[in-house]
Amino acid sequence: MADIEQNSAPVRNPVTAHPPVRQMTAVQRFFLSNEFGLIVLIVLFTIIFASISPMFLSNFSLYAMGRTAAVNIMIGFSMMVVIVTGGLNLGVGAIGVCGAMFGGWLMQAAGLHWLPACFGALIVGALLGATNGVMIVKSGLHSFIITLATMSVMFGAMIFLTQAESFREISPAFSTLGRMKILAVLSPMLLTAIVIGVLLWLAFKFTTVGREILAAGANARAAELSGIRVGRMITYAHALSGVLAVVAGLMLVSRTGAAIPSMAGQLGQDWLLPAFLGPVLGGNLLTGGRISVLGTFLGAFLVTMLTTGLLLMQVGAFWVQTYLGLLLLIAVLLDLARRSYLARNKLV
Amino acid sequence: MTQHITKSDWFGPFVVSVAAIIVVGILKPSFLTPFNIQILLLAISVNALVAFAQMVIIGIGQMNLSVGAIGGLAAISFAGMMEVWGLPWPIAAMLALAVGLLAGVLNGALVALTGVSAFVITLATLSVFKGINLGITEAQPFYEIPEAVKWIGNASLFGTIPLLFFPFAITAIALWYFLFRLPLGRTILAVGGNSHAAELSGISVPKAEIVAHAISGVLAAMAGIMLVARLELGQPSIGDDWLILSFAAPVIGGALLTGGRISVAGTCCGVVIIAIITQVLVLFNIDPFLVQVVLGLLILWAVGVNRLREIRGQRHVPGGAA
Repeated sequence: MADIEQNSAPVRNPVTAHPPVRQMTAVQRFFLSNEFGLIVLIVLFTIIFASISPMFLSNFSLYAMGRTAAVNIMIGFSMMVVIVTGGLNLGVGAIGVCGAMFGGWLMQAAGLHWLPACFGALIVGALLGATNGVMIVKSGLHSFIITLATMSVMFGAMIFLTQAESFREISPAFSTLGRMKILAVLSPMLLTAIVIGVLLWLAFKFTTVGREILAAGANARAAELSGIRVGRMITYAHALSGVLAVVAGLMLVSRTGAAIPSMAGQLGQDWLLPAFLGPVLGGNLLTGGRISVLGTFLGAFLVTMLTTGLLLMQVGAFWVQTYLGLLLLIAVLLDLARRSYLARNKLV
Repeated sequence: MTQHITKSDWFGPFVVSVAAIIVVGILKPSFLTPFNIQILLLAISVNALVAFAQMVIIGIGQMNLSVGAIGGLAAISFAGMMEVWGLPWPIAAMLALAVGLLAGVLNGALVALTGVSAFVITLATLSVFKGINLGITEAQPFYEIPEAVKWIGNASLFGTIPLLFFPFAITAIALWYFLFRLPLGRTILAVGGNSHAAELSGISVPKAEIVAHAISGVLAAMAGIMLVARLELGQPSIGDDWLILSFAAPVIGGALLTGGRISVAGTCCGVVIIAIITQVLVLFNIDPFLVQVVLGLLILWAVGVNRLREIRGQRHVPGGAA
């Protein structure tokens, strides 16, 4: 990795240089964590929105929110697994759309059952992601510029191949999945996101590969010296990111009942903000090495909730983007403040 | 002296653009008609300002995702102030530039004061600016552009050199002079080359960052205003597709994304190459959808070449500043 380590994040004091850290129980630690802050915010905003508009807690609203949240959570996960390596993936949207379009093509043109079609789409996502990873590792360039270039290539190639036409003949079984309601409020998509979240948590906590990806992200050189193949780990992370992006894309296909090339905007850029909002709100360090699956999950959920609430309050759909941008700014500033507070009081 | 020229950052892209012009000119004589040259120059003039807006930030070793959003916001401010408030166009243009300046200063101040990576800050401000743009316009264009502005946007000298070429040319020279001859400009490049060393030698890094982002904002606003004149329309979607372009041109022109090394002439050559390729795809009836693919491949090729040059440079000059 070439280091565009531009004044990123505050300096983290090496643990050794610290005076003895104050001992804390797991519970105390949790109260100081990002995740706890997010839960407080989610509860707070639920109360606020529910008191302003009783519609907010209606079955339909909760169901719709869960469905939208599932997509945002997957987009956030997709960026998260690359952020932990200290890199970025601007191509989340482009890969997601490419995979989803391929899935749509398999269902419509090749007439496949939706299960193998989705599987094929996920493989395309993994391949596209792995291509990014290999190019980043081989060139030694920062992932920013590589994924910027490949998102243009991938999206352009997809538009060229499909001639910007949608695939509308999606297998009915697949689109039913997107409209199905479990217990009147729960979408299978949200369930999928929860399951994938648990799997990711397990993978990064307990498997060798997961832990090695984290180690590579925390300190590439140290990881290399201790025998971790850093290049391979970065490639794995990007491949995983591709798969997760395609899951998000397929969720959208299932929800709308069509694979539409513009579902993530020009070059997939519309996914960029949600992709960063989740992980940044969730307290993942942009310099890599630390992962918070639960934080990303809650972060993406909070974003969805705020969007829904703002729309219900009729602030005008056009302004929502401004609020989300401000939210990202506030999240970054609060995180800085929280971390300097913790450091000053020697709590970490 | 010749060696000095062939080794400079802009020489490679320059040779490529001249060769491309000759080859395409021979294959398609219509390419070099005055009318076509005028179209090319128009595209180059606007795109170059977009590229400059990113180039300055690349020079300081950061990135600015909000170039397009600032350009769009300035564009609709310009058109909106003329239509809704009935301001004369020079005043509207100045105020729109001020919007760009303000947006840039905001970016710079946030980056400098918080120390958070410019990527995240400009991603956030990108959606703030774009949201304001959409909130004001509700995605509807401003149609009533004064005749004078329309004339400026489409008139040309001798049928070949568009009037909009002049703001671009003046900006390019001024920017070169500022970055490579004035102390403040050199400060920006010094911070980009090695911010720690720059700080130790008494340079105020936050000041350099704010200045760089402010310039970037003004340049993006200029590009937006010029596009309004050219399109004769205050489109809210102006700037949406600038992201790839803004990185492609400086990188093709030899800029290193690690900062400190940019070239105004090289960036201009990058813009020329992109303009020629876009035109060629049209002239030879190749699918215009492929433009994105070609742009992406160009970036990959350019960063690859730059990386090789960087590695080779380090090998030749041990400890290597170039």
